[in-house]
Amino acid sequence: MNRQRFQELAEAYGGEVARWPLAEREAAALLMAEDPDFTRQTLAEADSLDALLDAWRPAPASSRLMEAILAVAPAPRPQPRWRGWLMPAGLGAGLAAACAAGVLFGVQLEQRAAGGDASVSAVADLDLSGLSEDV
Amino acid sequence: MTGDPDEALLARVARGDPAAVRALMGRKLPRLMSLSQRMLGVAAEAEDVAQEVFVRVWKQAPHWKPGAAKFDTWLHRVALNLCYDRLRRRREIATADPPDAPDEGPAPDRGLQAADTGARVSQALQQLPDRQREAIVLCHYQELGNIEAATIMGVSVEALESLLSRGRRALRAALADMVER
Repeated sequence: MNRQRFQELAEAYGGEVARWPLAEREAAALLMAEDPDFTRQTLAEADSLDALLDAWRPAPASSRLMEAILAVAPAPRPQPRWRGWLMPAGLGAGLAAACAAGVLFGVQLEQRAAGGDASVSAVADLDLSGLSEDV
Repeated sequence: MTGDPDEALLARVARGDPAAVRALMGRKLPRLMSLSQRMLGVAAEAEDVAQEVFVRVWKQAPHWKPGAAKFDTWLHRVALNLCYDRLRRRREIATADPPDAPDEGPAPDRGLQAADTGARVSQALQQLPDRQREAIVLCHYQELGNIEAATIMGVSVEALESLLSRGRRALRAALADMVER
């Protein structure tokens, strides 16, 4: 980078090299090391305008504006109604199924222990009709 | 994810998540106020623009397609278009009904105004051609990189640099009595 390009960049982007185009910052840093007086003077001139520009601070948004913006914001999507009762219903069905499986398992163990064919009558005695109501 | 820092927040806004709605407003409203006030010079008009931009944001959120453009770039473009609409309307009104010639005589508050650096800078910025002002607002005040600013303005990086140089030169001349040399 030569002096002319350094000056062009300072005149366009200001006195803060960090705001200059990324691709030119490294070359600028090299010139700053090689030619400190010129580069310091150039950046100082650009800085003085930057400081003036920064003196103008915009007014913050009013609370009236924020309320108006929020008033038309997307509303939370309502939860589908079925989700309200499906969860307890599903939980109930699951518990009932687990109970039934436990009973069956217990009966089978009992049958094996007894060595007989009592399972047929034991299973026939189980009332599983309530499961369908919960599902 | 596309690397757009606003993408996840937008998705939550699209679902109507109240916390996301507030977070997006908190993140973008100060930037929009800064952009609009510096383009228009009038806080009340800047608020109108910011409100209009958010109406578009809320509508756009459920349809936002990540990857096409950064949300912040789109937001700046929308805000600038609305600013230009207002600047155009101002000119039409001024042409139809020219204002009285400015009073150059002494005024009780003129000294105070001159002392107010911010007001002087605001005034000088409003005197710039629109495109030079836009370039300075995007690069200096909004702190956008040259490539993103050029994209928003629809110009080459070289053209952006030229607009910036001319704009800053004009500002330096307008504020010559205040610029340290």
